[in-house]
Amino acid sequence: MYKYSDFDEKFVRERVAQFRGQVERRIDGSLTEDEFKPLRLMNGLYLQLHAYMLRVAVPYGTLSSRQMRQLAYIAQKWDKGYGHFTTRQNIQYNWPKLNDVPDMLSALADVEMHAIQTSGNTIRNVTSDQFAGAAEDEIEDPRPYAELIRQWSTDHPEFQFLPRKFKIAITGSPNDRAVVKAHDIGLRMARNDAGETGFEVIVGGGLGRTPMEGKVVREFLPKADLLPYLEAIVSVYNLLGRRDNKYKARIKITVHENGLETIRDLVEQEFTVRRAAFSGIDQEMLAEIKPAFPKPTYIQAPTDAFTTAYDADPVFRSWVDTNTVAHQNGDYAIATISLKKHGATPGDATDAQMREMADLAEAYSHDELRVSHEQNIVLPHVHKSHLPAIHARLVAADLATANVGLVSDIIACPGMDYCALATARSIPVAQEIATRFDELKLEHEIGALKIKISGCINACGHHHVGHIGILGLDRAGVENYQITLGGDGTETFAIGQRAGPGFSDTEIVPAIERLILAYLDLRENSDETFLSAYRRLGADPFKAALYPDAEKGRKHAA
Amino acid sequence: MQPDPFTASVADRVTDLNERYLNHAAQAVLKRALTDDTVGRIAMVSSFGAESVVLLHMLSVINPATPILFIDTQMLFEETLTYQQEVAAHLGLTDVRTIRATREAVAAHDPDGLLHKSSTDACCDLRKTVPLENALSNFDAWITGRKRFQGKTRATLDFFENEGDTRIKINPLAHWTPDDVQDYIINNRLPRHPLVAKGYPSIGCAPCTSRVAPGEDPRSGRWRDQDKEECGIHFINGKVVRGPILKEEPMNIIVTDQGFGQDDWTLAYTTPDELADNSDAPALAIDLASDADPAVLAGKLDGIDMIRIDFPSFADGRGFTLARRLRLMGFNGRLRAKGHVIADQYAMARRSGFEEVEITPELAERQPWDQWKARATWQDHDYQNRLRGAV
Amino acid sequence: MSRKFTPKVVTANDLLEGDSIWMTADGEWTRDIAKAEYLEDADHAEARLKLAESQPGKIVGAYLADAKLGENGPEPTHFREEFRVSGPSNYTSSKHGAASHV
Repeated sequence: MYKYSDFDEKFVRERVAQFRGQVERRIDGSLTEDEFKPLRLMNGLYLQLHAYMLRVAVPYGTLSSRQMRQLAYIAQKWDKGYGHFTTRQNIQYNWPKLNDVPDMLSALADVEMHAIQTSGNTIRNVTSDQFAGAAEDEIEDPRPYAELIRQWSTDHPEFQFLPRKFKIAITGSPNDRAVVKAHDIGLRMARNDAGETGFEVIVGGGLGRTPMEGKVVREFLPKADLLPYLEAIVSVYNLLGRRDNKYKARIKITVHENGLETIRDLVEQEFTVRRAAFSGIDQEMLAEIKPAFPKPTYIQAPTDAFTTAYDADPVFRSWVDTNTVAHQNGDYAIATISLKKHGATPGDATDAQMREMADLAEAYSHDELRVSHEQNIVLPHVHKSHLPAIHARLVAADLATANVGLVSDIIACPGMDYCALATARSIPVAQEIATRFDELKLEHEIGALKIKISGCINACGHHHVGHIGILGLDRAGVENYQITLGGDGTETFAIGQRAGPGFSDTEIVPAIERLILAYLDLRENSDETFLSAYRRLGADPFKAALYPDAEKGRKHAA
Repeated sequence: MQPDPFTASVADRVTDLNERYLNHAAQAVLKRALTDDTVGRIAMVSSFGAESVVLLHMLSVINPATPILFIDTQMLFEETLTYQQEVAAHLGLTDVRTIRATREAVAAHDPDGLLHKSSTDACCDLRKTVPLENALSNFDAWITGRKRFQGKTRATLDFFENEGDTRIKINPLAHWTPDDVQDYIINNRLPRHPLVAKGYPSIGCAPCTSRVAPGEDPRSGRWRDQDKEECGIHFINGKVVRGPILKEEPMNIIVTDQGFGQDDWTLAYTTPDELADNSDAPALAIDLASDADPAVLAGKLDGIDMIRIDFPSFADGRGFTLARRLRLMGFNGRLRAKGHVIADQYAMARRSGFEEVEITPELAERQPWDQWKARATWQDHDYQNRLRGAV
Repeated sequence: MSRKFTPKVVTANDLLEGDSIWMTADGEWTRDIAKAEYLEDADHAEARLKLAESQPGKIVGAYLADAKLGENGPEPTHFREEFRVSGPSNYTSSKHGAASHV
C-alpha cells in the first residue's frame, strides 16, 4: 500500500491546522458562513438535516487494517458508533460536532488519511475498481495512477473553485466495475495497436438531473501524458463551464452544449501547452509510487480445507458462490463482505464490525481492505484455505450475508433520513425490499440483479444505472418513488428508462415484487438475468407487471 | 451678487446658497431650491422608506409635478412597492420615475439574485448607484432626505453640497431630529411605511435590512454586521464614493507576501478592446474580466506591464486558470487578482501565477494580515511544484 | 397579500452542534419544536427570520418551515420537517441517544 511521503504527511498536517484555524475564524466572525461553507466542504464537512456530516476519503477504495481500526475509533469517539460507506468509496460520519472535526481530521492524519476534497466544487476523491490489483481480468493495477492523480488534484491551485464538482474514476480492467462512463472523466486502461498500455479518456459522463453517458475524447492517451491531459480538460472546463445555473454547470453539459469536437480541439490545444510545463518529474514520482502497490507475497499452501468445507457446509458454500470471485492467483479468492444484511442500512457498519473486518484483513488478506462503490467491504487477497475461518468469524460478527450482486445487495444513498438535499427517504425502501425478498426465499433463484435507490434527483444512489432504479421524489408533500428499468453501470453501459408514474411509499415494495416475479415468469431460463431479459423483451412486459390496472383498463377499452 | 448659474462654478454656487439659507427652515430651503434659478434642473430622489413621506409631502405642497426618482433595486420589500403607490396617490405626485438596473446588467452581474450575499457593495453598485447615476445625468441638482442625526457619516451635512463639481445636492432636512420627523408625520396625518410598526426604522432592500431592537441605532438594521453605512449614492470629484461623505475614496489594500500595502500603481487600466488605441502609452495596464478569453491578448503580452484579473466572487475560480494561462502564454509582467479573494485563497492565487491581490478595506479589516500571512508561505506543501520539479 | 398565510416556525441548525433548532417567542433557540414560536402573520414571520439571520455566530441556514398547532405546540406539516424533528428512521432513538441497529 502507498505510504505517505514526508511531503504528504506535512501537507495533511498543515491542512488540519488550516482547517482548525478556519473553524476558529468562522466562530469569531472573520469568515462569514458563505465564505466558510466552501472551505469546510473542501475538507469534507457538510451540514445535513440533523447534524454536520464528515465525509472521509478512502483513496481508490484501499484501506489497511490500521486505517480501518482508526475509522472504527473515530466512529466510537466522535460519532454514534457507526459509519456509512458510500458509492464513492468514502466513509461518512453522521454526527460530528463542529469543534471536534479538526481532532477527527488529526486522527485521520495519524493513519495517513484525510477528508480533503470529498466535497465542494473541486476534483473529488479519485475512485477505482474495488478489485484493483487482484482482479483476474486486469491489464494493470490502476491504483498507482489513481495515487498520482490524488497528489496532482489535491489542493490544485487552479481547480478549487470550479463551476461544479468534478469526479474522476479509473479502471485497469476491460470489465468496468468503477462506472467510468458516469464520471466527469473516466479513464479505462487500454492497449493500442502497438500493444502499449495507455488510457481511453472518457469525458462528460454523469448521472443526476441530466444523466449522460461519457464520450471518448481521446482513444488512446500514453500513460506519461496523463496529468497534462487531465489538467487541459479541467482548465478548459474551468473557463468554459457555466456558472449561471448550477444544474447546467457540470462538464457533461459543457460537452453537450459545445459539442465533443469543440471540447476535444480546446483540450488538445491546451494539452500541448500544459504538456510542456511538465518536466517528467511526475513520471519519476509515478515510478516511486508503483512499488507501493506490489503483488502480495502469496502464501504457498494447500486448499484442501476450503474444498472440504465447501462440500460439507451449504451455508459456507452459498456464501462462497455469492460473495467471492476469482483472483489473479488461482489459490486465492476475492471475498466481499456484504454490508447489506436484510433489513439493515445499506453501507453502514458499526465500530465493532469495522474492527472485526480490520482484524480479518490483517490475519487473512495481506492487511488490505477495499471499499466498493456498491457499499460493501472487500478482502482482496484471501488464500482459499482461509475462507472457512473468515466465514465463521463473519457469521459471529453478523457480516456473513450471502447476497452480493443479488436483489438485496442494494445501493441506497442516505436519503431524507440524513441528507439535506433529499426529497424522499431511500434507506427504508432498501430495508423493506431486502426483508421482503428474504421472506420470499427467492433471492438466489432471481440471481444477478442490481437495484439502486436515490433519494433525490442528484442520483448519489446511481439509480440511472440500476437494472432496477428507484428515485424518491417529493410530490406535493408526499414521498413518491419512480422506477427506471434497464440501467447498467458496466462496460455495457446504459441509462435506465423511466417505467411510468411513481408509487407511494406503501406501493413501491409491492411494485418491485410484481416486477421481479414477472421477470421470473418471462425469462428463458435461470441463466437469463433480469437485465438480459429486459434487453431481449423491452420494457412493455415489465411495465405491464408494474401497472396491472392500466393494463386491465387498456384491455377493457379495447 | 449672486453667481450666474451658467458661468459660476458649482463650488461658488454651493457656498452662496449655504450662506443665504443658513437659518432657513426645511420648507423654505425646499421652496427656494425648487424655484431658485441658480439651482437649475432639479429632481427629488426618494426611497419611499420610513421617513421619506415628510419630504414628499413638502414637495407635493410646493410643486407635485417635480420629478421624483424612485430606485427600485428589485430587491425591495413588497411593502415598499405598495407604499410607493399609496403615497404617490395620496399626495398627488404626478412625475414619479422608477429607476431600475438594466436587464442586461442584472443578467451579467447578478443572474441568480445572490450578489448581495457575496458583495453588498457590488450589489448596491449594480442595482442602485449606477442606475441613479445614469438617471441624474439629466439634472443639475437633486433633493435628498438625509439628516445629520442619521449617523456619524452624516454629522456635518449641509443644506447644499457640491457634488463632484457637476451637481448640487440639497438636503432640506439636514438639521432635523427624529422627533421633528415624527411630529411632522403626525401633524400632517401622513401614511406610514407598514414596516416601521414591525421594527424597521430604516428600510432598504429586503436582503440587507433587518429589524432593530428598541434603543439600537435606527440605521443599525441596514447592512447589519457589516461596516457598510452608505449605499454609494454619493459622488466626489465626479466619481462614486462610499463610506463617510467628503472623505477621500477609501483605497484598496494590496496584499503581497510582505504584508498589506498601498497601491503603487497609479496609471489607468484599459480593457483588452481598447488595447490597440493605447499602444503608444508609456506603461500599459489591462483590466481583465473573469469571463475574458486570454487568447485576445496573444501576441500583445510583451507590451503589457500589468494585468489585473477580476474576481466578482471568491467562489468564481476562473481567475486562477486565467492567471495560469497568461503565465503559460509567456506573460512576465505584474499579475494582480482584484476583488473578492479571501485569505484562504492567497496561496492558490500565488501558485496560479498572481503576484499580488487587491482587496477592499472592508475585507482587509475582517481578514487582517495575520490571516493572509498564514497562507503567505505558499511555496510550502505545494503538490504542483513537487510534480513539476520546480523549485 | 390576500392569500392565506400558512403558519410557520423559524428553524435552523446550531452552528457548533449542527442540531436542528427552532426559534422561541423570546428569540432564544430550542431543540424542541413544540417550544417554538408559532408564526401566523407573514410580516412577523419575515421579521423573525431576519432576526434569526442576524445571528450568524449561533446558527446556520435559517428558514421558515410550515407548521401547524398541535396539543403541545407547533408541529411540522411536511415529512422533511418531521424527520428533522424525529431523526433518521433507520435507527431507533438515534437523534439524541446512541445508535442501535433496527
